[in-house]
Parts: sequence; C-alpha cells; structure tokens
Amino acid sequence: MRSIRQRLLITLLSIIALVGIVTLARSYLDARHEVQELFDAQLAQSARVLQSLVFHEIAEGDLGPESEDDLERPRRRQLRKRLEREESRLDEHHGHGYELKVAFQVWRADGQLLMHSMSTPEQPLAPEVFDRTNYRGGFADATIDGDHWRVFSLWDADHRFLIQVGERHDVRDELTTKISRRLVTPSVISLPILGLLIWFGIGGGLAPLRKVAAEVTRRAPTYLEPVDVGPVPREVRPLVDNLNDLFARLASAFDRERRFTADAAHELRTPLSALKTQAQVALRASDDAERRAALEQLLAGVDRASHLIDQLLTLARLEPGAHPIQRQSLQLRPILVDVLSQLGGKAVAKDLNLELTGEADPTVAGEPVSLSMLVRNLVDNAIRYTPSGGMVTVAIDEDAKSGVVELTVTDTGPGIEPALRERVFDPFYRGLGSGTPGCGLGLAIVRQIAELHDARVELDDNPAGSGLRVRVIFPRPATK
Amino acid sequence: MRVLLVEDDPILGQGLKVGLGQAGYTVDWLEDGASADAALQDETFDLVVLDLGLPRMPGLDVLNHLRRRGDEVPVLILTARDAVGDRVAGLDAGADDYLVKPFDLDELTARLRALQRRHAGRPDPLLEHGEIVLDPAARRVTLRGEPVNLSQSEFSLLQVLLENAGRVLPRTRLEETLYGWDGEAESNSLEVFIHHLRKKLGADLIRTVRGVGYVIERPTS
Repeated sequence: MRSIRQRLLITLLSIIALVGIVTLARSYLDARHEVQELFDAQLAQSARVLQSLVFHEIAEGDLGPESEDDLERPRRRQLRKRLEREESRLDEHHGHGYELKVAFQVWRADGQLLMHSMSTPEQPLAPEVFDRTNYRGGFADATIDGDHWRVFSLWDADHRFLIQVGERHDVRDELTTKISRRLVTPSVISLPILGLLIWFGIGGGLAPLRKVAAEVTRRAPTYLEPVDVGPVPREVRPLVDNLNDLFARLASAFDRERRFTADAAHELRTPLSALKTQAQVALRASDDAERRAALEQLLAGVDRASHLIDQLLTLARLEPGAHPIQRQSLQLRPILVDVLSQLGGKAVAKDLNLELTGEADPTVAGEPVSLSMLVRNLVDNAIRYTPSGGMVTVAIDEDAKSGVVELTVTDTGPGIEPALRERVFDPFYRGLGSGTPGCGLGLAIVRQIAELHDARVELDDNPAGSGLRVRVIFPRPATK
Repeated sequence: MRVLLVEDDPILGQGLKVGLGQAGYTVDWLEDGASADAALQDETFDLVVLDLGLPRMPGLDVLNHLRRRGDEVPVLILTARDAVGDRVAGLDAGADDYLVKPFDLDELTARLRALQRRHAGRPDPLLEHGEIVLDPAARRVTLRGEPVNLSQSEFSLLQVLLENAGRVLPRTRLEETLYGWDGEAESNSLEVFIHHLRKKLGADLIRTVRGVGYVIERPTS
C-alpha cells in the first residue's frame, strides 16, 4: 500500500495532467481555427485589394482579348510595376513574419491567364472555380507540385474576370505550432513545480496524523496516557478520541490485572510461609510424633495452596471477555444434585443437615461447568461457615409469571453484616471469623460467573433466623 | 521467653507455635486482632509477633492501642505486605521490626533475639553474670568456660532471670514464661527448676524473695 502522500500526489497530478491535456488540445484546436479564420480573412482582404487595383484597370483599359497588343500601354506598365512591388514586398518578408505569403492570378472567364505574381504556378490555383455549373467563388484547398495551398477566388461583378489569391499552408501551420508550443511549454514546466508544491502541501496536511502516530508509538502497556497533540483537524479527531477511549479501557484492564496479580502474589505468601515454617519445624523436630504432625500440616498447607491456585486460575478464566462462555439451555436441578452429592460427605462430617428443597426444575441459559462451579462455591462456603449441627438449605424456584429463576443457598452460620455485604465479593476479602480456611475468592468467583450469565447475586439474612441467605437471580431466559 | 503470636492463618500459626517452641520460646497463639488486644492488656509478654491482616481488628490497630497504653514490649510485624509504604506505616505505628512472608524460621528467631537484646539495652548478644555465660542463639550455658547441661525449661528460666537481673520476678510471671496458657504447671515445678539451676550453677546464684518470687542480683563488677 502506497502512502497517502504518494497516492494523493499521483492522483492529483494525473487529474491535473488530464485536465491540462484536454484544455491544451481544446486551445490548440481553437487557436488553429482562429488562425485559419484570421488568415482566411486576410486572404480574402488581399483578394479584394487586388480586385480594387486590378479590375478597375482592366475594365478601364478595356482589357479584352482583342486589345492584347495594348499591353505595353503606360498605364498597364504602371500597374504591373505596382503589382510587382506589392509582390516583392510580400515575398521578401519585410514586415512581420506572419504576413501573408501570397500568390495571385488574374483570369479571364474563358480561362486565359491575364496576370499572375512571379512565384505563382501558371495553372489555375483552384481550377474547379471555372466550372460553369459551379460558379461560386470563395475558399478552396489545393495541392500544387506537392505544396498545400489555401486559395480564395473572387469573380468580378459580371463574371468576366477571376482573381485567385493563394497562400501556402506552411505559414499558418508554423503559427499554430508556435502557439501550441507556447501553450504547452508552461504547462510542462509547471507540472513538476506543481507536484513539489502538492507534495509539501499534503505533507503539511498530514502533519497532525504523523504527530498522532508518533504519540501512539510511545504508548506501551506501562504507558497508556491519552494521546494529547493539541487541536487536531476534524478528520483526525475521531481517531484520537477512539484511541484515547481504547487506551483508557486498556489502562484500567491492565490496572485491574496488576492489582489482581499483586493481591494474588500476596495471598500466596501466607500459605508459602506456612509451608516453609512447617517444613523447618519438621526438620527440627526432636521426635517422630512432632515430625509427623508437622508433615501433616505441611500436606494440608500444600492442599490449601493448590486450592488457592485453582481458584485464582478459575477467576482468571472467568475474566470478562477472556473466553466468552457458550450458553445453552439446561436444567438447573441435575447440576444442584450433582454438586450436593459431591459435598454431602463434607456436610455429614461436620454434622450439618444439607438439603435440596422445592420441586421446580427450571431451565436457564447457561454454561454447565461454570454454573456447577457457582453452586459448588456457594454450598462449600455455607458448609465451611456453618457450625456443627447447623443446616444448609439449597432451593430453586421459578416465578411462573416473570420466568425469573432463583437459586437460594441458606445457612445457619454467622451471616454477614450488612455493611460488609458488598466487600465480601472483592477478591481476597476475608472478613469472616478466623479458623475457617478459605482463600477469599469464592464469592468473587460466584459473582463473576453470575455476571457472565446476566444473573444477580444478593446477600441477606436467613429469614428463618440467624445465618446467611445467598440468592442468585437468573433473568427470564431469552425467548427462543 | 513468652511470645504472643497473632496470626490468623491456621497452618502458619500452628507451625510458628511449634517452631518457636523448638527455639525455646513459650508461645501463646491468638488468631484475631480483638483477642490479641485484650490479651495484651491483661498479661505480660516478652515479645509480640503480629500479623497485620487480622480479622476483627487490624494488626496496626492492635499495635496502636498497645503503644498508646505505654507498653514497650518489642513487637515484630509479620506480614505479606512488602511495599515500602506498608513497612513505614508498621514501623511508625510502633513496631520494632518487620518481616515479610515467606520468611525463614531462623531469621525470625534471630530477629526476636535481637529485639530482646535491644529491649534489655545490652549490646552483647551473650548474657554474662560472673563466671556464667548464656548464649541465647546457641542456647548454651557455660560456667567458668565449661558447658553446663540445662533442660529447656531451666535454660528459659535462667535466661529470663539474667535478662531481668536485679529485678524480682514474681512466680506467676516465671510460670507464664515456662508454660504460657498451655501450662499444666504442677504447683512445685518452678521450685524444682530453681533447685536444679542452683545445683548446676551455684547455690547463691538465684535468691528467693519469700512470698514474691526470685531474683538474680546484678553483678557488682
């Protein structure tokens, strides 16, 4: 792809050249036509001057075939002299270069040549004028001895004598050539100059674009400031605005990412210290029981660190826009049954009453793996935070009218005080009592999955007493 | 040496309790800020190891309360937050040292010894009293250059008495030093340890202040 500058230059110069050529051609034709007209007019005028000089004399001197011997009469001689003078003046280019180079002939109607200028051939310049059926005078073109002539024929009033004035085409051709050359030369010279001016002009016009490009080049993931190049032309403004918008979104995404990574790194430090400490304790243990206890703690620590990493990866995968989920129409109940059967053992071990209530089996538009992860996180949290002997209830309901599906997980744990109900969704936030191992990512994952399904997560109190109720509200599935 | 450990992570807390115990400390472990705040008001500790991100009360608040009460107990902050700002905030709030997770248990105990030393205002890492030299790092005692074999409890008792030389330490304080809250102290075990120490190091080293406690007199030299 050529540069805009090159393309504009080539396009503009081509257009200019094309228009120039057409204009020049038109001017050339016009000029030639006008030159023809002008020269024709002069030719005609010369003929009339001759006529006034010659016919008068001929008529007065009764210049007929019978008075041929009178040719030596002084008046005739005088006339001849005048004509010869005239002719030599015409021939010798005394005056202007474009003066007519004229030849003339004076004929009698019967075809006898009465007079002619010296350089004139003796055959009729335009023989067709003698044709009786075609008596008209006027202009004609003729070729004599290879030369092109323009001829003007003029009869006297009663058709007895004919004057033919001829002029070779060379002169007019020369003039036309000169005119066209003068027309063409400036254009040919001006074209490169024009090109140069256009080149710099376009360069100036594109300067804001270059400035924007240079600014954009400086951007990096670590430097996503908005591009500010001062006032920019209207055409470039949307580009700059959209770029800045993109940069802002990128910067906030990077920022979120960085914060998350930093948080994640911090969160990994504690489990790592636990591992290291337990390992050192095991090394120093003075008896097998102590060593064994430390190693068991070490294993538990490794499990916990793995869980944290799993949750981190899950959250990273659920990052909006990372991998758009493929939603399909699916039944919620089988997912619940599946997750509850997996977590049932844990609940029983803690002496909790875990149950799935309600008969509804609504359909939601969702992605089974992530939905099952959502349910698992909610139920797992409930089991973790509910003291022994408590109760964890999972329910699904479908509002027959609105088609809204609601998944509810209720526990009899400590609950979450209203002020913290927003914060607990933040990654790594762990505001709940100690002693319950968790990485603080469960609810963040739940919310992320819910958002991917256009669902809402709401926390409130267990209506049946103390404890937490989590409601995941799925909007009516899009009509198929 | 009685240490209050405040750490909400169960595995790390458990490991530190055992690990510091191995190093001769008596460790009382609490898992939230509010309990630590209460414990620090009621009881005497030689050292505090404090995590910052604690449930129920942030570690920095615990530290602030402690210092506002005029308590000078050395505090070492143990945290995952390593930004300079966090360290500065911790030290400015009155911490004596700052250790970032993950750390080495040896470094932690070395820093705790350094804190004790500084707190006691003595530059020499060795505790000397006449012909007795106690090396807290190596947990070794020599008498006239000859190593003396002491049990862990005997060593701790000797160390706390030497560190507080010239001050009469009440029985309860000494018992806490030995057992912390886990103490299943038999009523006369303290006397048994004192008796052993006197036997090994000389009868006139530790003097009894009847009805109050015990004291090692400051050397006259």
